[in-house]
Amino acid sequence: MPVPDAWIYDAVRSPRGRGKENGALYVTRPIDLLAQSLDALRQRRDLDTAAVDDVVIGCVTQTGEQGACIARFAALQAGWDFDAPGVTLNRFCGSGLEAINHAAAMVASGFHDIVVAGGVESMSRVRMGSDGGAIWDAETQWSVGAVPQGVSADLLATLHGIDRAQADAFALRSQQRAAAAQAAGAFDRTLVPVRDPSGLVLLDRDELPRADTTIEKLNALKASFEVMGTQFGLDNLTRRRYPQVEKIRHIHTAGNSSGIVDGAAAVLVGNAAAGATLGRPRARVRAVALSGEEPLIMLTGPLSATQRALKKAGMSIHDIDLFEVNEAFAAVPLWWMQALGVPEEKVNVNGGAIALGHPLGATGAVLLATALDALEDRGLSTALITLCIGGGMGIATIIERV
Amino acid sequence: MENIVSLQTDSDGVATLLLKMPGRANKINAAFGAALHAAVEAALADPAVKGIVIASGHKDFCVGADLDFLMSADDPAAFLAAVLDLTRLYRRIEQGGKPVACALTGSALGGGYELALACHHRVALGDARVQVGLPEVNLGVIPGAGGTQRLPRMIGVQAALENILQGKILRAPDALTAGFVDALAATPADVLAACRAWVLANPGAKQPWDRADFAWPAPSPLSEEGRNILMVACAMLYQKTSGVFPAPEAVISVVQQGAALQFDRALEVEARAFVKLALSPQARDMIRTFWFHRTAAERHEGLPALPAGADAGIQKIAVLGAGMMGAGLAFLCAQRGYTVVLKDISQAALDAGMAHVRAEAARTARRKGEARAEAEAAAILARLTPTLDDEPIRGSDLVIEAVIEDMAIKHRVTRALEPLLAPGAIWASNTSALPITRLAEAFSDPARFVGLHFFSPVEKMPLLEIIAGAQTSEQTLARSLDLCRRLNKLPILVNDGYGFFTSRVFAAYILEGVQLVAEGHEPVLVEQAARQAGMVVPPLQVFDEVSLRLGRHVLDQAAEYTGRNLPAARQLLIDMVDTHARVGRVEGRGFYQYTPSSRGGFKRAGIWSGLRDLAKTRPVDPVRAVADTAALSRRLLLAQIAEVARCFDDGILRQPRDAEVGAIFGIGFAPNTGGPLAWIDRQGAAGVVAELEALEALHGERFSPAKRLREMASKGERFFAG
Repeated sequence: MPVPDAWIYDAVRSPRGRGKENGALYVTRPIDLLAQSLDALRQRRDLDTAAVDDVVIGCVTQTGEQGACIARFAALQAGWDFDAPGVTLNRFCGSGLEAINHAAAMVASGFHDIVVAGGVESMSRVRMGSDGGAIWDAETQWSVGAVPQGVSADLLATLHGIDRAQADAFALRSQQRAAAAQAAGAFDRTLVPVRDPSGLVLLDRDELPRADTTIEKLNALKASFEVMGTQFGLDNLTRRRYPQVEKIRHIHTAGNSSGIVDGAAAVLVGNAAAGATLGRPRARVRAVALSGEEPLIMLTGPLSATQRALKKAGMSIHDIDLFEVNEAFAAVPLWWMQALGVPEEKVNVNGGAIALGHPLGATGAVLLATALDALEDRGLSTALITLCIGGGMGIATIIERV
Repeated sequence: MENIVSLQTDSDGVATLLLKMPGRANKINAAFGAALHAAVEAALADPAVKGIVIASGHKDFCVGADLDFLMSADDPAAFLAAVLDLTRLYRRIEQGGKPVACALTGSALGGGYELALACHHRVALGDARVQVGLPEVNLGVIPGAGGTQRLPRMIGVQAALENILQGKILRAPDALTAGFVDALAATPADVLAACRAWVLANPGAKQPWDRADFAWPAPSPLSEEGRNILMVACAMLYQKTSGVFPAPEAVISVVQQGAALQFDRALEVEARAFVKLALSPQARDMIRTFWFHRTAAERHEGLPALPAGADAGIQKIAVLGAGMMGAGLAFLCAQRGYTVVLKDISQAALDAGMAHVRAEAARTARRKGEARAEAEAAAILARLTPTLDDEPIRGSDLVIEAVIEDMAIKHRVTRALEPLLAPGAIWASNTSALPITRLAEAFSDPARFVGLHFFSPVEKMPLLEIIAGAQTSEQTLARSLDLCRRLNKLPILVNDGYGFFTSRVFAAYILEGVQLVAEGHEPVLVEQAARQAGMVVPPLQVFDEVSLRLGRHVLDQAAEYTGRNLPAARQLLIDMVDTHARVGRVEGRGFYQYTPSSRGGFKRAGIWSGLRDLAKTRPVDPVRAVADTAALSRRLLLAQIAEVARCFDDGILRQPRDAEVGAIFGIGFAPNTGGPLAWIDRQGAAGVVAELEALEALHGERFSPAKRLREMASKGERFFAG
């Protein structure tokens, strides 16, 4: 029996709102953020939700309003058929892409026909880290080791000679590309405004970008993890694995790290037969991959995940037209480009999380949608999406337009 | 059992439980637990008893666990059962339904203070000699009878961790401020009266953690702020310990875990962690050295002693040389009541030395309160005469010579001053390396010539290495040991030979560090390797502190006396000093670079950037960095181990205890190991011999395993019982 492909029929996302009390989406429950994306997806493809085999949603901070399987309740909230079940998964920052890969795997295996995948995170309403976890245990510190991600990012930069100037220049480009993309309407095909109960628009474009930022403004920002790293001594915790690092250079700031935002996204995945009701697919999933690396430096996963995905797809890095490498911290895509020799022109062409924000559980799905739009706008064919993940993991997905 | 804990109830209904174990102190063991248990149950069962006061019939309240009992435990299940029995007993005391107060008329440490914590109220004698605290981590274990659970709930997580992680011991007045005790009283009778009054006034006493409305002292460990505090505590701990001490690490773990748990089960979590650590090799080795060896050394066990009642005949001491060591010694001797003459040949040096003495006198006196301060400082200074002349030395009973490390100069000084001394006077050299037997050649009676090797800063460093020259008499050693006791120093007694024990081993350590750098190893890895071996100060840092010039001198002097040399290390030191003028911290430039410190002096600011070019340092292979560091750690330890073992062959060491005490308290040898011999025992002599032989093949005969070690390997012997 030939293994069927997994097709991507469509993708939608909410605009990303500033993830604080002054953010436009702060007044919206996370379940509503997600339900509005699900509803938009249903309308676009006239989806019979009774035919949806599963709703797979990535969400990192699964507590409070985001606890207790938000996927199931968002589908019900959206008025979907009772027979569209839901599952919420957590692979930290890779959750949104993991949801798509999981959906693609279920479809490609033939177990499912139609799966909706996506992610949600209201960082303004559910604080990052408020779900606790063994990662915070002193006991885990002694047996495994853990430092805040910012310290990891600065360690990565230190080890690979990435300096503050490079990071700020990269951040500026992210802002400029995001601004250009917004001006050109590059996100319009995918963006669905978020509305209040009366239907009033709360937000119809990404809220975070600062088109007016300059390199001087970026240079003036304080390193975010310096006090934590040096004064509180957290840098020391990396010594057990990086004894050669005498001093971590703290280069990451609020300006060259990903922004904290609220957002949701939903992607429609199905097999070829589903096309009869869903219409023309936009892309197919060529390969997926995961990786696990040393957890203290934490952010190196995208390199081996990329290499594994390419190998599975039988492709070389030159076969990929565009890349989305999540801008968790500037050092991550900078190091990734350095390691693979990929030119910056192909990477994050519409800006990334530094300018637009990183709604943890949703980002993977957002990036996939962004890559697909960019391919279509440019008449290109293939894209690879990859993210670094807490605990030292990495994830990648290769898509190809059809 | 009645003679361990007695129970007496007065007419007001206050039962006093008097702890008085046979011997001189109350120590927690099975018999103590059983006796206390019986007495507590009796008091609780007696309807006439309204409240309970736990008091001590000894000078101290209770000094903690009976370490003999602890060292004899070997079965985790049986030991856990014993620990949980004690936990339940302490729980019974606080939940028995009657108010319990604790009369701390003397010190309460470790399990003794944990008993105090299980009482509802603690009153201590307001005397600085009364101490309380949880010093368990210093012995490689954690509090095991509720200390990690009760103290944080009482004074807050941050304060509790600061104290438990450092094993801090507080004097009674500070203990009140810190919340370790609830009240102070002026006399032992007042302490007991305050306890009685409190139990009568608080019939419904309940521990905070047993109340329905219990709230953690802010910030709660369960809050986000508390979680951050715990993470920072982990980081700060790692910064200090580089991961070589599991006990303080376990303290943070059980405090954090227990915070979220039902109280009795939280105590169980602590008990299980305690049992694992108490039976661990590290705790055994640390307890042996930090308690048993140290106590034996304090008591001068096995060392020459004066006949009972005899006097050492030392009243007047001449200290020669007013440098840092000489001035410090003069101060110390004067402080302890000796009449002291401090002599130098330079007015400037003498002035600097006296400035040091005055600063020390003022500082010491300040601690005791203004009224007595000036009198005390004045008395110390009155006993101390600075001089450029020889004459004031006349009639001295002891000379401590602390002049420049040069055989000829030391001989000259000895010959010049001997005629001034009192009959029978002792001549002691504070040399750190020169052979005592040869120094004694300039003295008319070598039986009265001895090496007294103090460590710098002498006011702080606890060790005194006493060196017996070939002809030093037992009488001279006994008199020297009397001085040692009066100066409150911890003695080791070794035989003569270049570098004696401590300097030999210390030189092996720091020179190996420089040798590694000279071989092209990344200096940052070398320093980190030393920390990860547990060494208190990494080698390049040591060099900067003592100055590279002195280091080079030591290297050359060692070559002169022992014929051994490290050409690569020597060349690096010469290049550093002569070509690059990098002398050390005093000048703000050494193996490290420095920035001026706000408090004067210099602050380290990383390895000197030019060192890598100079030493042709190889780049670190990131994949191998961890393994390479571990290998360097071994090499730094084994360079010292080889030297320690040779000290047996060369007849330097008289007894194994001195190797442990000398290495740990004198030169900052890895305290996590319990000492060099404990380390050999843990590895097994055969394994150490094999490792040394491999290193010898690669790096030369300084790693050659000593005969003593080979013999032990072939016979499967160890230095200490497991």
